[in-house]
Amino acid sequence: MSGTLTLPAPAPHRVFGRRAARALRGAAGVLLLLVGWQISVPLVGMSSYFYPAPSDVVASFTDLVRKGILPVYFADSMERYFAGLIAGALLGVVFGVLIGLHRTVAVTLSPLLKFLFAIVEVAWIPIFVVWFGYGWKTIFLALIYVVFFPVLYNTLLGVRTAPQILVNALRSLGASRWQVLCYAILPSALPGIITGLRVGAGFAFRGLVFAEMVAAKTGIGYLIFEGTQTQQTARTIVGMVVMGLTWLAIDLCYLRPLERATIERWGLTVDAEQRT
Amino acid sequence: MSARVDVPVDAHRAAMRPLVPPTWLGTLPFLLLLVAWWLLPRVVQYPSYMLPPISAVLDFAWESIRDGTLARNVVASLARLATGFVIGMALAIPLGLAIALNRFVADMFRPVLSFLQAIAGIAWVPLTIIWFGIGNGSVIFVIANTIFFASLYNTVIGVQSIPTSLYRAVRSHGGSGIALLTNLILPGALVQLLLGVRTSMAYGWRALVASEMIAGSSGLGYMTMEAVQWQRTDVIILGMIVIGLIWVVMDRTLFTVIERRTVGRWGLLQR
Repeated sequence: MSGTLTLPAPAPHRVFGRRAARALRGAAGVLLLLVGWQISVPLVGMSSYFYPAPSDVVASFTDLVRKGILPVYFADSMERYFAGLIAGALLGVVFGVLIGLHRTVAVTLSPLLKFLFAIVEVAWIPIFVVWFGYGWKTIFLALIYVVFFPVLYNTLLGVRTAPQILVNALRSLGASRWQVLCYAILPSALPGIITGLRVGAGFAFRGLVFAEMVAAKTGIGYLIFEGTQTQQTARTIVGMVVMGLTWLAIDLCYLRPLERATIERWGLTVDAEQRT
Repeated sequence: MSARVDVPVDAHRAAMRPLVPPTWLGTLPFLLLLVAWWLLPRVVQYPSYMLPPISAVLDFAWESIRDGTLARNVVASLARLATGFVIGMALAIPLGLAIALNRFVADMFRPVLSFLQAIAGIAWVPLTIIWFGIGNGSVIFVIANTIFFASLYNTVIGVQSIPTSLYRAVRSHGGSGIALLTNLILPGALVQLLLGVRTSMAYGWRALVASEMIAGSSGLGYMTMEAVQWQRTDVIILGMIVIGLIWVVMDRTLFTVIERRTVGRWGLLQR
């Protein structure tokens, strides 16, 4: 099209410049959304119960913070989330290694595990409610459930696909079973464990919000649900915004670095979601 | 290095072959589970509403199959899922392409999209109850919303992840406009979109069941949650089993096939 033949090599400082420009454009997009929303409110002309404005949401946010409701709810939600996530991940890794080390056991159990994972955690909540009532037990178990299976499945797969050469090499150098596990099998299963954790963490976050809507009296999910029940729709939106920002923060601060430190660094990008 | 020791192929194969075919082995845990479920009330005393005997679940299953309530609920749920999926995709792909074709606009919308994707799904239920009331409208909105934002995000990412060298290749062969769109941008975006379909459907399925539990007036989610009030655990357990079975079937038939037909064939399974 144009007559130029030489492509200018990107100067090192331009990478930073492009990133800054991207961030700026992104901020402009967020601003545009907020302004558009605020402008649309008088045009829609509905009551704030039906369609609250961003200013209502901000007012509701400061109100919730000042009354100390939001910090408590937020802390409760995070406590539940990370407790469930960690417990589910630990159980998944332990059982994944135990099952994965035995070929026959792995073959025997995997259809059942697949089926249990297909019964989504949401579907377990009614029966957990019957068994344990409305409360933290139900939420905690649902979260463990949803993290457990992806981690288990991917750990199992990682253990099963550990390079036999490495295992043989260690064995022939006189390593004990424990050493083989620690130096060959676990490291090669690690990318699988992380991908499983990532999948489970995403499902668990939505699961948390749903479980809190149904079975809790505190937490972000409860805030979202209770807001509309009490005709304070702005509170519902505060809850949704907090939920979204929290997820983005968890993704950015925990999951992405974890992935970068393990999967990407070793060049072992396995497509996790496709496997579950 | 590769001084191979000659192993007779047949002997090797025989050693590898398991004693029992793996498909049979896989049914064993299911059988054990059923036996344990059958034995449990005979060994331990507990109120039968906690865990009904197998016979109760089977009776209810038979009854609800015969009078058609189960089929009605399944069809209601699947129809909502399909409607939500079609609406979400139909809106997301053109809009996603329009956004993604301009780098400036794409950069502008990405943070908003990832935020909206983070809250997509069940969190909208309270709002949709206000907007559309209890029933179909709310549930379909939640599913369409889940699918829409996931697909929109994937379309934008898909277009942006097309290597610049490919653009240059098409351009240097004189392709532009429609040719560029149909030969490069659409297939390029499609890869990411199809890779994302299974994940967004997994979220959509959860959102369906969850929103039916809160805002539904029929469907599998409604059926299981409604049963809690009457402590009808036989209904709950049947609902769970059906929910699991449907997902397994969808996964086996739809997603695996889509994946093999498209992404696998193009050899683009990498991220």
